[in-house]
This record gives sequence, structure tokens and C-alpha cells, in this order.
Amino acid sequence: MTTTTTTDPPAPAAAPARRPGPRPGPGTRRAGRQLHGGPVAYAVLALFTVGSLFPLVWTAVAASRDSSRLARTPPPLWFGSNLPRNLGTAWTDANMGLALFNTVLVAGAIALGTVLFCTIAGFAFAKLRFRFKSVLLMLTIGTMMIPPQLGVVPLFMVVAELEWTDRLQSVVLPTLVSAFGVFFMRQYLVEALPTELIEAARVDGASSWRVVWHIVLPVARPAMAVLGMLSFVQAWNDFFWPIIALTQENPTVQVALTGLGRGYVPDQAVIMAGALLGTLPLLLAFTLFGRQIVGGIMQGAVKG
Amino acid sequence: MRGSTGTYRRRAVVLGAVAALAGLLGGCARDGGTAASGTGGGGSGKTTITIGTFGVFGYKQAGLYAEYERLHPDVTIKESVIERNDAYYPQLLTHLAAGGGLADIQAVEVANINEVATTLSGKFEDLSKAAGVRRSDWLDWKWQQATDRKGRTVGLGTDIGPIAVCYRKDLFKKAGLPTDREAVGRLWAGDWQKYIDTGQAYKKRAPAGTVFTDSAAGVYNASIHAYPERYYDRRGKAIYADSPAVKASWDLAVQASRGGLTARLKQFEKPWDQAYANARFATVACPPWMLGYIKEKAGAAGKDKWDVAAAPRPANWGGSFIGVPKAARHKAEAVRLAVWLTAPAQQAKLFDRQASIPSTPSSYDMPQVRDARHPYFGGAPTGRIFAAAAKNIPTLVIGPDEQQIGTAFTDIGLLQIDQQGRSPRAAWKATQKEIENAVDE
Amino acid sequence: MTTTATAARGTGAGDEGGTPRRPPGHDPGPGRAGRVRSRLYRWDVRYSPYAFVAPFFLFFAAFGLFPLLYTGWASLHRVELAAPDDMRWVGLRNYTRLLDDDFFWNALGNTFTIGVLSTVPQLLMALGLAHLLHYRLRAANFWRVALLTPYATSVAAATLVFVLLYGRDYGMVNWALGAVGIDAVDWQSGTWTSQFAVSSIVIWRWTGYNALIYLAAMQAVPDDRYESAALDGASRWQQFRHVTVPALRPTILFTIVVSTIGATQLFGEPLLFGGAGGQKGGASHQFQTLGLYLYEQGWFSFHLGRACAVAWTMFLILLLIAAVNATLARRLRKSH
Repeated sequence: MTTTTTTDPPAPAAAPARRPGPRPGPGTRRAGRQLHGGPVAYAVLALFTVGSLFPLVWTAVAASRDSSRLARTPPPLWFGSNLPRNLGTAWTDANMGLALFNTVLVAGAIALGTVLFCTIAGFAFAKLRFRFKSVLLMLTIGTMMIPPQLGVVPLFMVVAELEWTDRLQSVVLPTLVSAFGVFFMRQYLVEALPTELIEAARVDGASSWRVVWHIVLPVARPAMAVLGMLSFVQAWNDFFWPIIALTQENPTVQVALTGLGRGYVPDQAVIMAGALLGTLPLLLAFTLFGRQIVGGIMQGAVKG
Repeated sequence: MRGSTGTYRRRAVVLGAVAALAGLLGGCARDGGTAASGTGGGGSGKTTITIGTFGVFGYKQAGLYAEYERLHPDVTIKESVIERNDAYYPQLLTHLAAGGGLADIQAVEVANINEVATTLSGKFEDLSKAAGVRRSDWLDWKWQQATDRKGRTVGLGTDIGPIAVCYRKDLFKKAGLPTDREAVGRLWAGDWQKYIDTGQAYKKRAPAGTVFTDSAAGVYNASIHAYPERYYDRRGKAIYADSPAVKASWDLAVQASRGGLTARLKQFEKPWDQAYANARFATVACPPWMLGYIKEKAGAAGKDKWDVAAAPRPANWGGSFIGVPKAARHKAEAVRLAVWLTAPAQQAKLFDRQASIPSTPSSYDMPQVRDARHPYFGGAPTGRIFAAAAKNIPTLVIGPDEQQIGTAFTDIGLLQIDQQGRSPRAAWKATQKEIENAVDE
Repeated sequence: MTTTATAARGTGAGDEGGTPRRPPGHDPGPGRAGRVRSRLYRWDVRYSPYAFVAPFFLFFAAFGLFPLLYTGWASLHRVELAAPDDMRWVGLRNYTRLLDDDFFWNALGNTFTIGVLSTVPQLLMALGLAHLLHYRLRAANFWRVALLTPYATSVAAATLVFVLLYGRDYGMVNWALGAVGIDAVDWQSGTWTSQFAVSSIVIWRWTGYNALIYLAAMQAVPDDRYESAALDGASRWQQFRHVTVPALRPTILFTIVVSTIGATQLFGEPLLFGGAGGQKGGASHQFQTLGLYLYEQGWFSFHLGRACAVAWTMFLILLLIAAVNATLARRLRKSH
């Protein structure tokens, strides 16, 4: 399991065997990432995009209808006129303003903590030598295997003992680090971080923290961006634990949404409007920061 | 490691990390604190009473909180709602176990009330002696359900669920059956078997694409809830394997499914909603709270097509309680509010808005209930129909694993017959095995 | 600054342990300051790795260890959710009863088949998508965000959509099948059909997520490897097979491990597919996974002790898989 097997350098073995012939068309085959996507690539991506977006788009469609129309077949496939009303109801019923504020705080803290702690831990596991390393790595992976539904009762006991119920830290702290994140960064850095670079810095007398700051972090940035994004989304959408730890008085978005659709007849349209309200900020953040984080840094990291 | 400096150094590193962690905790605590205090609301000197419910309570919508706040200017009421009881109840259990995170008033569904009244009785206030509570206000069986063996009452009854039968006049007419609600009630008065027989008659002339009823489980539920002893007898012994109530109700449901009278649906799922919208079935056993559901799902197209008739036998399906946990912050105020919310006058007001039938019979003569008519259901006098059904409901014996056992019959056994085409014998065996696994400790 | 990071990549990257580092070559003489510095340096090299992994383990100890141990302890007791303080010692009974618990074995089997049905296509598709995303594309960021939306879409919304898709009477899939003359399928009631449907939800939710992870790793593959492959006249497909995939091996392994763990704990999707009372996984438990069985035991039947035993069994199964995996890997390495 500790995956030392996988790290043999996969150098393109036969490279020098042939003399470099005339280059095939300029720009097309030069290097992997410079390749332009052909029409097939666009077609496949478009197909998957439609599949991926459909539920979200349909959420918006449902949120713009009224509840009884949603039950009828065929289901509505285009927008109706109730969107503002449903959004308004969802906003006031679910205490959305506070919920969004809380969730940004919670998801931001978790994403930040996860990226920071998991990157340095992942680096240590990938490139440094210390005692009990493989045991500790095994332990880390082992913690991933604990079914998340299970720790809830004892965890709540801890939280209640600390008098943290209904406080945001009860949601932030237990998820502030993740074994997944450590393992993810470790696997990334094993391949992406050249050992000679670290050694060279060492020879120049750089301390470990300097190595982390000047060498590891720049190399790790694409993976950190991805990990941050994934942790943020995960924290944003988590509700199994928050619904136990928080109440509607101080909710995150997902906790607030469970309160929608009151009365004997849950109003599906309002529920969908709430779901939309809960998802849109996330997508907005993706589009805004995603461009910078994922797009920008990836380019920078590779092209320099 | 060798040498003491090494250990020292390592300890220092660990200590440093702990210190960093502590700083972080402090920071987060402040964040949480400010966020929480931002919502704490309530001006100076006001008491904020919190109330935790699942979806079906309509206190806020009926204006009851506002009214109470007017009567008691020093009180603010905050409601925390989780739509589904299956998410709400485990949360309540966890909170009770840890003694934290509880609201001042917590709601409990009838399927869980026995467990609360037995296992968890010590964690709730005894409401039987609270000021203003008159035991005689409530239906006796409702009161009993929330009372433990020592006579402590852990919850006050809110609504109940007397059953009627909702039916579609247009489909009945096409099938050559009567459409007047009195006449329809007479078709099956006294015996659910007659309901099945009516279904057979319907099937012979059924309009294309329609069936008589929604599901085998619906027939089963309607029938079983009319018996005083179902899964437990009066001494608390589990009798689900050979109780006459179960046998009779099971046979009825099997007849309905095998006879092709059901739409083979599972209640409260999306396809069930869609079937309402598409007029797929002609009847459904309906407690009062289901009327709103039908109206919403069948939509404008179903207006004046549905009506309500009396069920073959009086039965109760659903209903809730509210109680005050001992760990509540404002116990005295919470008890006062709970008593007020469940008083006959307030229950009548709630019916007006929410169509939940009061568990306090004196409400039935109040105008909000007595004169209630449901415009969507052809102006049916729903107040009178359901109040009549409510008065004759037998005292239901309930036990600790009520919910698990009931679900095994409806969601496992009958669903296997209805949807998977398994033989009743195999399905019965699967049900019993399911229950044994669920109740086995 | 990032140029340096990528410039020296290559042969040495495999030496993940690194070599024991010596103090700087140009030691500033035997002076006192120099000795202090070199000692500091040694300490730094030796102990800062612990500092690096410490936050993770501290948090884990605070919020993960107690629940884990408590769970293990509870699994040896008869304890109900209603009264977690009231524990009665039963030894290994909760575990032995699992041995002849048909529901447990059924759930174990379902977990395995759904796991295979969902993980394999998902990772293959993710790899392919990452490869496409790695091309120079117009609106590159749009495609990435779009493919990640399933991961961000709320469960409530996804539920409604998939129920609409797989409905027996009014579902869109059956409607489409009907259009080409195939009879309606009762997706939820059949064993294979329901498992297929659940797998499709898993695939839908997680493919874009894995694609993004692969993409991040692909970005780190240096251009020169592609260049030399291209000089060899390797086609796109060959470049993908002989450059991209080998370079991604740690990441691929990572996703396999994570997906295997995820598949073993599979919970949300079958619950969501099951609708009301989804913890049973269908009338015959035909798509009840171990995660659902654990949930049903703990949160529906309220048998906390038994639920804990199921959880620890899942944990042990995963450790077993890990051990077998490690042994196989060692064997393979030796035989090379």
C-alpha cells in the first residue's frame, strides 16, 4: 500500500535512439500541452458538459416553476416565471443571508487549513526522511477508511463537552485537516518535485522552512489549487455532520436548506430555489477564482 | 533517537504545534462567537425560547408564535425546522444523549413517542402537572402514548391523523360507481374488504390507464391502524408474527396487489407525486394532512375532481407531540409555551390553517373545525368528516419498535409483492426476517 | 521563480526518500558560531519532518482518534443510540452475529459489484477527459468548471433529476427506450438495473472531480518528455500511453486507492436513489451497500453497537485489501 513501487522514473527510454528527423507540422506535435484540441475533443467535452450541467440547469428550471407543475409529466424543460418569488421565499425561510456568510467562513477556513497542513505533511511524506514514516503514512491512509457516518456520535460528545454546539468551530475544526489531502499532496509531490532541487537548496544551507517556502510551494501550486477547490466544495456541501452540530439559528447553507419545504406539503419549487441559492455562489467562486487558481497558476507553473 | 537534546527538541516542536493549534482554536472561537452573537437577536431582558420541529408543524405559518409574543412581550420565539423526521429524530437522539444542542421545546413523531416515553423519559420534563394542563382535554389514547409507566407525561399531543378515503369523482363516474361522498362512504362502510370489492368493480370498467388505489402499502396502513393491538399486545409483548390485525391487513393488501388494483407505487416518492398529477389512481386512504399534499401534487387539473369520503373503519395514522427536555435553557417559559400551543383553542386555529386535526376533542366544536370545508375537494366538510373519525379511534397500543416493524411490512414485504412480483409467502418470510434483524439486540 | 522548479526534473525524481543530507559543503570553519549553526541545521533536517506532519496528527488525535476508539469500544457492547451511556458488554457478539447475518453479506456483495461497476469506467473516463482538458482549448476554464458541477450540485437537486431519469412509469430513460421499441424497465426493483443506476450516479458525480486531479498531475509533466516522444514519431495516443500515463502513475494509484475506499463506504448515492427510506436499499435490499447497512443499523434501528461493529468490519476489510495489495506490490517488485 505504501506506494514506493510507483515512483520509478518513467523516462522515455528510446529517446536518443533515433536522430531527430524533420519536425512534423509546427505546433501540432511539439509537446503535449501545446496541442490544440481538435473537433473531436470539443465534441466529447461538450457531450460530457451537457450531462454534467443538466441537473443544475434543471434545478434552475424547477426553481422557476410552481410545485404542482413539477409533478406533471412530461416535466417542464424550460423556465417559468416564478423564479423571483421562489428565491425570495427560500431566502427568508432558510435564513440564507447568515447561512451563506457562515458557509463562506467555514468552507474558507477548511480549505485554507487543508491546503496548508496537507501540503507540508504531504511534502514530508514524499521527500523527507524520518523515523516511522511508512507507519505514519499507513496510519494516515488508515484514517481515510473510517466510515464518516460512524464518528458522529462520539464526535458530538466531544463538541458538547467543549460547549461548541451551534458554534462554527464545531464544523471547522474536525474537518480542518484531511487524510485524503495529505495522501493527495504526497502522491503529487513524489513525482512533481525533483529531489535534486531540494538537495541543491540544502547544499546552499537552506533550512527546511525555506525549502518549503521557495521550492515546495511553487511546485505544489497546481495541486494545492485543486485540493483547495475540492475541500471548499466538500465543506460547502457537507451536511451529515453540520446538521448534528449546528441548528437553524446559526446554520451553514446545507443546514439551512434542510429547513425548507415546511408544512405537510414540501414545496419542491422552493426547495429547488434553495438548492440553487446554495450552489450558485459556489459556481460563481469557481468561475472567478477558478480561472486564477487553476488556470493561471497551472500555466505559470509549467511555462515559467 | 539518541540523547536528551533530541527528545527535548522534538517536544519543543510538538509544543509549538500545540500552541499554534491553540491560537487557531482561539481565532475560530472568536469567529464563531461573533457569528453566533449576531443571530442571538433579542433585545435586553427578552427571553428567547427555541423550538425544534420537523416539517409538519405550522405554528409560525398559522401566526401562533406572533400571537404568543403579543401576549408575552418579554418572549421571542425561534423555530428550528428540519423537514424530514428521519433526519430530525437521530439528531434529537444525539443531542439528548450528549445533553447539548437541544431546543427548549422538541417535537416528537408518534412512531417515536413510545421510545421517548420509555427509554428517554428521564430526559424530559413531566408535563402532566404543569400549570394549565388538563388531562381531560386530550383524547385518552393520545395522552397515554406519551406517558411512561410511572405516570410522567413527556409530551403534549398536537395533532392526530384520523383516516378518510380520498377519491376521484370523475374516475368513479366513468367506472359506473356513485360519486356522492355519502354514497361512496356507504360502499365500504364497516369493512375494508368492501373497499377491495369496490376496487374489483372499479377494475371491470376502469377508465384506460387508471387503477383503483395507489399501493398495497397504503391499503395495509389504512387497515392496520384501525386495530388497537397491532405489533404489540397490551402487556407489551411483540406479536407482529401472528397478530390478527397484521394478518387481516396483509391479506387485504395482497388481494389488492394480486388483483391488479394498485398502481404499484411507493408512497411519498416522486413517482407517487407524478401519479397524482397524471390521475393514475382513483382512491387513496388519506389522513387530514394528506389533503394538502394531494392538492399540491394533483394541481389545478385535479380541482373539484377529488372528494373525501369516510373510511370503512376509524383509524389513526400519524400525529405528533411536543415536549421540554430537562437540558433546556428556559424550562419554565418553554413549558408555558408548550401548554399554550397545545391548548384546544390553539389546536383549532392550527387546523384552520394547516388541516391538522386536533388531539383535543373540545376543539371539534369550535367553528374553525366544525364549519371547515375544503374548496379543492368539492367543498367537502372535512372538519366534520375527520372529527367524526377521530372520536371513534380505538386506543392504540404502541411499542418501542413501532416504526421499524411497520416499515418492514410496508417497505419490504408488500413492496416485494407489489413491485418485484414476489410470492406473498416469500415476502412474508422476508418481512419477518427483516423485523427480527431490526429488533434483535 | 517557477522555472527553477521544473528545470531540473528528471532522473532523480524516483529517489523519494532522498539521500541523507550532510551539512553544507562550505562549512564556515570550526568556529563556535559555525558549530551552533551546523547543529541547528542537523536538528532542522532531523526534526522538521515531524513538525510538518504534526498538525495533521494533532487534529486527527483531537477529533478522529477518540471517535475511532470509542467506536471500537462500543462495538463490543450492546448500546442503543437512545442511550449511548448505557453500555452492556457483549464481547465479540456483534461481530460473530455478522457472520450469519444475510443482510450483511448481501450488503458486502452489493458494495463490491457496485464498486466495480462504478469505479472502473469512472477512472477511465476521467483519464480520457483530463487528456482532452490538457489540450490547448478555447474557454479552457469553462470546461473545467462545467465538468466539476456534478460535484458541486446539491444532493436535493440531483435526487430529483435522477428519479426523473430512472422512473418506471414516467422516467425519461424509459421514455427514450420506448421510443426505440424497448419495454419499460423497472430500474429500482431489479438487482442489476438498480446497481447500474446507482453506479451511473456515482460516475456522474465523481468523474469530473477525478479528471481535475489527473489534469493537475498532467500539468506537472515536463514538456521535454513529450518533445522527445514526438521526435520519436509517437502519435498522440502513443504519447498518452507512454508518457502521460506513466508520469501519472502515483496520481492514478492515488485515485484508485481513494475510489476503492469511497466505493467501500458508498453511501450518499444509493441513499439518494432509494428515496424515502433509502437506507434499506430497495425492497429486497438489492442495492444496499455496507455504508447504508451501517446507517440503517445505527440511525434507523438505533443499534449503535452493531453499527460500530459493521464500521470496524469495513475498516478491517479495507486494511486487508491494503495488506494484500502491499504484498502483491512487493512480490512484483522482487520479481522484476
